[in-house]
Amino acid sequence: MNVEIPNGKMQTEPGAARKRKILIVEDEFVNREILVAMLDAEYEMIPVGSGADAEAVLLRQAGEISLVLLDLNLPDRHGLDILREMKENPRTAKIPVIVLTSDKEAEVESLNLGAIDFIPKPYPIPKVVQARIRRTIELSEGRDLIRETERDHLTGLYTREYFYRYAEQYDVFNPDVPTDALVLDVNHFQMVNERFGKQYADEVLIRIAGAVVSSVSASGGIACRRSADTFLVYCPHLSDYRAFLDGIATAACGNDRGRIRLRLGVCAETEKSVEMQTRFDRAKIAADTVRGSFTECIAFYDNAMHEKEIYAERLLDEFRAAIDGKQFAVYFQPKFDVRPETPVLCGAEALVRWIHPELGMISPGVFIPLFENNGLIRILDRYVWRETVRHIAEWKKKYGSTVPVSVNVSRIDMLDPDLVGTLRDLVTDGGLDYSDLHLEITESAYTENARQIISTVNELRKIGFVIEMDDFGSGYSSLNMIATLPIDVLKLDMVFIRSVFRENGNLRMLKVIVEIAETLSVPMIAEGVEKAEQLNTLREMGCAMVQGYYFSPPLPAAEFEKYVRERKKENA
Amino acid sequence: MLTVEKLRAFGANVEEGLGRCINNEQFYLRLAEKAIADPGFEKLMEAAEKGDLEQGFAISHALKGVTANLALTPLYDPLCEITELFRNKADADYVSLVSAVLAKRGELTKEN
Repeated sequence: MNVEIPNGKMQTEPGAARKRKILIVEDEFVNREILVAMLDAEYEMIPVGSGADAEAVLLRQAGEISLVLLDLNLPDRHGLDILREMKENPRTAKIPVIVLTSDKEAEVESLNLGAIDFIPKPYPIPKVVQARIRRTIELSEGRDLIRETERDHLTGLYTREYFYRYAEQYDVFNPDVPTDALVLDVNHFQMVNERFGKQYADEVLIRIAGAVVSSVSASGGIACRRSADTFLVYCPHLSDYRAFLDGIATAACGNDRGRIRLRLGVCAETEKSVEMQTRFDRAKIAADTVRGSFTECIAFYDNAMHEKEIYAERLLDEFRAAIDGKQFAVYFQPKFDVRPETPVLCGAEALVRWIHPELGMISPGVFIPLFENNGLIRILDRYVWRETVRHIAEWKKKYGSTVPVSVNVSRIDMLDPDLVGTLRDLVTDGGLDYSDLHLEITESAYTENARQIISTVNELRKIGFVIEMDDFGSGYSSLNMIATLPIDVLKLDMVFIRSVFRENGNLRMLKVIVEIAETLSVPMIAEGVEKAEQLNTLREMGCAMVQGYYFSPPLPAAEFEKYVRERKKENA
Repeated sequence: MLTVEKLRAFGANVEEGLGRCINNEQFYLRLAEKAIADPGFEKLMEAAEKGDLEQGFAISHALKGVTANLALTPLYDPLCEITELFRNKADADYVSLVSAVLAKRGELTKEN
């Protein structure tokens, strides 16, 4: 890697160019002056005539000097002693030194001691001296750049790119050594940062790095810091990593073990034909299976994980074809107004199902998180919106009226600058009213990018969309936030409903939430209602609407249509 | 006063010396004057007279470097020889050898 040095000038700030500095250590005035004359146009020269003066300059300006030209026969010291000391001192070790000598023996010794080159006496013609010096500085700065990019600044471990390269090299030189790919993570590192401060957190990372290196370097293993709190290790196979992890945990936090918890994923003895990054992706999958566990902290990537991964890959691969082939079916789960004696159909939620020609019905719990991770969810959401609008339009045409249907708007959709336009076009092109299509926005989206989400939601409400806050109760909003957020309906999280009825004590919590909705004059829909007991309690508390298996599972469009038809009859 | 012609007549490789001095004649002459007036020459004689081989080596080595860079060949050549003798702590008539160098230098210091 070479660095261009135009005329030896170094950019320091826009518009300003500063010359690189060269320290000339030469006691003979004539020789010193000749060098200065040769180099003065390109560089800032610091000429000194003794070892003591050289040391003084290095002490003050080591970081600013690009090169030292060093004569060996100085009045007070031998140049080789200065060279040796420079290379031993971390502050000056990286400064390239060119030795000025006419002595062949000294040339060899200088190079052995770390001089990068020598210039003989009598000096070559100025062009040659200038070219050698320019090249030396280029190489040295290029080397520094490599060092900078090769190593993580905080821990001194390799950076990811170089790590993968060295790991691959390890395999080239050790094709028969079975190896493991490890991913080491700190559980809830963000909390460590917040609770104990960045300095403490950084110290922990440095200690982990040190412990990892000392554990694996003896066996030829290498390590890197992949990101904030994730370390990668590539090393000869071990069947048991408990002692390894224990050693690192002890080093990381000493006696205060409770503060830091580590998790380790191991992709052991994988075929060398498997790509290096894939091995670490697998180790990461394994590590994440024990995320947050207090009992397990080591996980080996196994067949079950592998099959799950292959399954996920297949789903991702077949996504486009599934969209084109209309394999995704929109189901409708009815919502009931439970305030009247006999509950009345008041709407539905559109839910997607994947009817795979070979794998059968695939649960959205499997594919939605997958598509959320890579942005495909946007395409799927739009597909569902279009299908939903098509169905509503059809029912409206057939029966003259229909019930509002809510669709999910994913977090990533909310960041789309065209969202409002897209939804508006969908509704108007389908000949619907805005109130026919409700939009469900998950509670957590509001907390992640509140300002932008709120402004988008306001725009949507302004043109007439009804906004339902989905997954309410999953634990993100503060009471203060709920009071100020622009929402029309609160949808109580299914998981919350289930847990409330499992643990009786929490009924009070449910009551509080229903009352909050009442106070805010926001109607509430309880999701996931499965039993009469749940329905009755929610009713007593004043919950307006209910959705769940107690009334109906999500239904294919044709079956849900029966509900719409019935309602039409009842209203007739 | 030292001139390029005088140096050329003396036997210096003026083109080479000038080249090293970025072809700046004034600069070259200034350095050549400085080199000729170097008190090292007198100190070299003192060392030779005392038989101080180490000191003799250090001084002759330094003068050799300077005269080499300025391409003052008639001084450089004998200084090379003297430096190697000192380096090897050879048994030699250093006083005569240094005297010859001083005499050669005298050609440049005497006024025409």
